[in-house]
Amino acid sequence: MIRRLVVLVLLIGGAILLEPLRAPTEGVIAPRSLFLFGILLLTADTFGALAHDLKLPRLLGYLVAGLALGPSVAGIVPAGVLEDLGMMKRLAVGLIGLLAGAELRLSDLKERHRTIILTVILQMTAVVVAVLGAALLLRQWLPFLQGLESGTLFFVALLFAVLLTVNSPMITLALLTETGARGPLAKTTLGIVLVADVVVILLFTGAFSLAQASLAGTSEGAPQILLGLLREMLGSVIAGAFIGAVVTLYLRFVKRELVLFAVVVVFAAAAAAETLHFEFLLSLLVAGFLVENVAPVRAEPLVDALHQTAVPVFVIFFAMTGAELHVQEFMSVWPLVLVVALARMGAIYGSTKTATRITRAEPAVQRYGWTGLVSQAGVAISLSTIVADRLPVVGLAMQTLAVGVIAFNETLGPILFRRGLERAGEVSVP
Amino acid sequence: MQTTLTALAVITVGYILAYLVFDRVRDRFGYVGGAEYVVIGFLLGPQVTGLLGAGQVQDLTPIVSLALGWLGMLLGTYFRLPAMAVIEPAHLQIAFAEALTTFGCALAALLALFHYVAGYAWPEATVQAVTLAAVATLSSPAAVDAVIRRAGQASPILPVLQLTARIDALIAVAAFGLIVAIFHQGQVSLSVRPPTSTEWAVINLAVGVASGVLFHLFLGPRDHLHEAEGDSRLFVALAGAIVVASGASYYLNLSPIYTNLILGFILANSGSAHRDVTRLLLATERPVYLALLIFAGAAWSPTSRELLFIAPLFVIIRLGARFLGGGLAGGVVAPPPLRNPRLSRALLAQGGIAVALAVNYTQVRPDLNPDVILTATLVSVLLFDIVASREAGEVVARAPAGGSQAEPGPVTGETLAP
Repeated sequence: MIRRLVVLVLLIGGAILLEPLRAPTEGVIAPRSLFLFGILLLTADTFGALAHDLKLPRLLGYLVAGLALGPSVAGIVPAGVLEDLGMMKRLAVGLIGLLAGAELRLSDLKERHRTIILTVILQMTAVVVAVLGAALLLRQWLPFLQGLESGTLFFVALLFAVLLTVNSPMITLALLTETGARGPLAKTTLGIVLVADVVVILLFTGAFSLAQASLAGTSEGAPQILLGLLREMLGSVIAGAFIGAVVTLYLRFVKRELVLFAVVVVFAAAAAAETLHFEFLLSLLVAGFLVENVAPVRAEPLVDALHQTAVPVFVIFFAMTGAELHVQEFMSVWPLVLVVALARMGAIYGSTKTATRITRAEPAVQRYGWTGLVSQAGVAISLSTIVADRLPVVGLAMQTLAVGVIAFNETLGPILFRRGLERAGEVSVP
Repeated sequence: MQTTLTALAVITVGYILAYLVFDRVRDRFGYVGGAEYVVIGFLLGPQVTGLLGAGQVQDLTPIVSLALGWLGMLLGTYFRLPAMAVIEPAHLQIAFAEALTTFGCALAALLALFHYVAGYAWPEATVQAVTLAAVATLSSPAAVDAVIRRAGQASPILPVLQLTARIDALIAVAAFGLIVAIFHQGQVSLSVRPPTSTEWAVINLAVGVASGVLFHLFLGPRDHLHEAEGDSRLFVALAGAIVVASGASYYLNLSPIYTNLILGFILANSGSAHRDVTRLLLATERPVYLALLIFAGAAWSPTSRELLFIAPLFVIIRLGARFLGGGLAGGVVAPPPLRNPRLSRALLAQGGIAVALAVNYTQVRPDLNPDVILTATLVSVLLFDIVASREAGEVVARAPAGGSQAEPGPVTGETLAP
């Protein structure tokens, strides 16, 4: 503990001491950003180790470190630096997407498809009903629902509810990597979270188009949005198949420098997604899945290489996510956050218990399956940003509350899932 | 964005082609390898196809700083004092005599060239001359390794050659790091007094030492790490330490290679993780090295003046200094069983650290002929890489047989053989 505190003092002291030795400079990644990135990385890992000592998930430590150094608390890592380092976070998301797809084995999906499908359906329905109900009940205290007519009120509240159906593939995969869990609970949760991730994008776009059309007082544009979404989804699958084919050829004929190759693939996919308008994460999930399950090559070398990079990638992702959290906004709406988050958690608990009992899943899945579905992180934050950007007045107010709920789930979810995995006896790394 | 995509695709295809073609050439002829990636970078860069624009190359600078730091750290990990203590004193004498003589001769010639011929003032002439003298001093054991791989020969000269290459690298990186700090370029914040040359040299040293101590504390006792997660945690710690040290150097406009050399040295001599650190660095070295070579090629924009006059002149100076250094060390300083006046012919290959120093120079002194330094270095590397293996083969073949096999493993930045 003392050693770790000394490390923290040295890191933060070093950052402060070196600061005046260079006049401010600019660049795509400013010199200062690179240095502060290193400070953030080591501080996050130290906080992760402290969290681990307290029997908490490491990723919670990474989040807290990011939050502590980020603009909303100490400000050692300012917002400009986070912008500079955006490509690092994008790289982290892409590598995890590729790994998550490759971790999803067709045999596991076939074996558990009934549980996965029913849980996804029940969980999403229950969360939508519970959050929608809570939002309608609390509408006089929710700024984004005030002054709306009944039809519009319903669709905007529905959009808010759909936003909170999102799970977190990143947190799930981070915890499975950290704990080395490979049992029924781990496999089922990963399957549910990844399938739900695809479904939720469709659901979100539908709800978003309805709310947008209702706020504009017209239904025009909604079909186009839905059509655009379907085109984007199809494009992502095609792009994923293409990326998968490239990866397969590489594994077949070259099979060297796999980490470097994966980094190039992720950057290329990010650039292509921006130009061709497809979903970057989904395409990499599909690519990883196809390489693992369909391609006529052994995907293990790639999966091993991606596993090697997993821990640093998680540290980067969660530390930067933590740094981007806005504590002040959370503090202003915390009672509402608590009510909505508890309603959501109750819905997840009830629906998952029901679905896993109906499909006669393993006892551990029946008992602790719900714990893996509470977490929310990157995808949910991205969707709330879309809402804020495209629905200027209502969206910003909705984002404030949604981010508060996401931050709550981001903190509590990993603790619950880790406890669930421990009690299910699936943790192989203490 | 489309250009970036095309550039990435072309880099990947270029890399695969280079792998398919050059690995066969390397295996068959013992070609040292590496220069082909400089050529790929050059072909992709603004000078030829323009697939990588000048702006994009500039954008990669922070990543390159990390790569430089990575190579510097790997170099530093070799200098483990308990291992150095058991080296034959004669070997150390030969290595230091060769390195210092080569550096001194090259420096004298280059100083005269820059000051008296090119007309630069002493400070500017010194910075350029020391940088090129450091590049000239560098030698790579890759050519010797290639000979060993092909013929499996054992000779008493092999450990001497490998040690000499390491000492060459130490002298070169230390000289470059110090000269960059002493003649520091860059403004400090208005709130502080600009540090003096000595203070910059101390700051540079302090950043390396502090990073080393930090890393040592950060890692803690090795047995605290669970075996399965040990490598991942070590990788985070290693990457974090390199990013902090390289980032601080990049921020302060100092040399990340030098800073990380100190960091690597501290790591190698403290704690119990040095073996794992070295293994991990070696495992990740190749992609880092390739990225650096491609970047160097892309950033290269030679003019005919540099290509026709300066680069050939530098090659001649390097050859002269190398032969003088090798002749003195192998013919005079070496004891009779190890005497070999042709020692320098086995040390012609320059390798990745030379490219790293030149690239680093272009970052820290963009105001002082960066193209001249880069062109001289790359032409020299391309030329000597072609002839080095054959020359090394002849030296080893003519050396007395027997003795011990060279220590396995490369110095740094040369592990291109699979």
